[in-house]
Amino acid sequence: MSESTACHNANQTCWSCPAVEFKGHVDFRACGQAAFRKAAEGQLVVECKRRPEIGYFDPTSITFEHCTEWKKTDSGYLLDGMRVLILGMDGYLGWPLALKLAKLGCKVYGIDNLLRRKLVSERGAQSVIPIETMENRVKAANEELGVEINFQEIDLMDRDALFAYIKEVQPESIVQFAEIPSAPYSMADVDKAVDTIQNNVVGTLGLLFGVRDHAPDASIIKLGTMGEYGSPLTGRPLFEGLFPGDAVLQYKGEEWSLGGELTPRDPVSFYHVSKVQGTFSVYEACKYWWLRSYDVMQGVIYGNHSDELAAHPSLATRFDIDEWWGTVVNRFVAQAVIGMPLTIYGSGNQLRGYITLKDAMQCITRLIAAPPEPGQYDVVNQVTDVMSVKQIAQTVATIGAEFGLDTEVQRIENPRVEAEEHPYEVIHDKLSENFGFASESSFEDEVRGMFEVLTKPEAVARIKEQESKLFPTTKWSGESAKLKVLETWKPEIKDKAA
Amino acid sequence: MQISDEIFADKVLKSEQPVLVDFWASWCPPCKMMQPLVDRLHDELTGTAEIVSINIDQNPQTAAEYKIAGVPTFVSFRNGQEVTRKTGALTENQLRKMIDTASEQNQAA
Repeated sequence: MSESTACHNANQTCWSCPAVEFKGHVDFRACGQAAFRKAAEGQLVVECKRRPEIGYFDPTSITFEHCTEWKKTDSGYLLDGMRVLILGMDGYLGWPLALKLAKLGCKVYGIDNLLRRKLVSERGAQSVIPIETMENRVKAANEELGVEINFQEIDLMDRDALFAYIKEVQPESIVQFAEIPSAPYSMADVDKAVDTIQNNVVGTLGLLFGVRDHAPDASIIKLGTMGEYGSPLTGRPLFEGLFPGDAVLQYKGEEWSLGGELTPRDPVSFYHVSKVQGTFSVYEACKYWWLRSYDVMQGVIYGNHSDELAAHPSLATRFDIDEWWGTVVNRFVAQAVIGMPLTIYGSGNQLRGYITLKDAMQCITRLIAAPPEPGQYDVVNQVTDVMSVKQIAQTVATIGAEFGLDTEVQRIENPRVEAEEHPYEVIHDKLSENFGFASESSFEDEVRGMFEVLTKPEAVARIKEQESKLFPTTKWSGESAKLKVLETWKPEIKDKAA
Repeated sequence: MQISDEIFADKVLKSEQPVLVDFWASWCPPCKMMQPLVDRLHDELTGTAEIVSINIDQNPQTAAEYKIAGVPTFVSFRNGQEVTRKTGALTENQLRKMIDTASEQNQAA
């Protein structure tokens, strides 16, 4: 079979399609147990909401490839004008996703309470790349890309408004990005920890009820995090959310299959705890109410590039670099640009999974294109590279040298409570094997691209303005003593062959 | 190897070999995770035993007839008769034992 021409979801059938309504005697059960159905009640049939003229038919009889409603794109077959609702559309990920899906022909809707802008501003920081208001972005998307994006300023916690919007939009896929994503923020004090849990856990819980009542056929793409798993010192591989079928528990001479059970979680901050709780909420909702979901354990995201974002400056997505809201690769590039030593916490041997913004958007799109079946909960590990913080610092310094930057690296007392020396094997096969994902980025190229943008004078000025926010002050312990610098060095930059 | 309501009798009840039937559903994580193991055993034991999978939502007749109340449920057959059944994910050893037990049924009869 030609891998390059076959779409990953060509052979999915109406069984997974959100446009289908199950008729007949489908008897949705609770608690993972099948109900005992009387055979006399007849065959399972469905009706298509988009093509009611077909009448009742067998849901396994038509594939996405053959259905006239599913159109071929380079991200797989997509429902024509698929209605996608992005929660958190104003965010680092939400906005690029909105642009990508709109460009692919989806009808994109989104909400945001604009909290991120407020919290970053309160911190005395700002997006290093200037971003427009949502109103102007939507206008620019229309002018520059010819797409219509629908945005409403709605808070996920305002359930009346949220439910009304879900009922109005009738989404066929929902992407839940509307969470407070900062680990150090969630550890800073009790109010911030509570706010994080409230927004992320209670917000997601409310969403699930809203989906049940107003759009039960929509797939829910829930953003989780690799941080849910932690980093077990035993070196146990980090499976994709569920134990494989040949995983066995042996104890006192007996053995049991662990196949399909949720893998252990060991989160590393109250933010990560909120993600674990979100996982359980979604898992339960799929069981109780036949909702369908992909739980995305995403690696640390970095980069600021996508084809749609590059179309015009007004379309830029936010780029945070401060201790609370910036992720490590983004922060290191910014630090190198202003000649501030790159701040490694502790040994720098901590290993994590990473993925670029562009690759992450491809993954999410492919998940949207291949919905789970009713009641199905599945997990993917959304990671392309596993790297140590030291490796990242070395690479950033090396590429910074290409831009004439002379970079120092510093190890500081670790503000976090985490293992600094640990094995880390991430299983991340599903996105490529089941969803046709192929990385379009490389770590070095993405870092180079960021240097190109951040070394421009306007960007340098914006980084300098928040220089004092780049050195961490938030300790997991809650103490407020200043973190000590343990070691400073200049990485060896190997001269590239001419 | 997936079978359906229509061919269940032919493939399972009329088989001359012991048959292990894996009743599964797409909303059942253990069922999905066990599929590769079941497929591997199917390939390995071709000739000595049949191992088939049947989706209970798409094949409600068979699921109802065998009173499947939880998934995965593994049911072994010999000469058209049910031998044993177990509900819940199984280890490879446990699956092989079910097949062996069903094989032995023939000799006992």
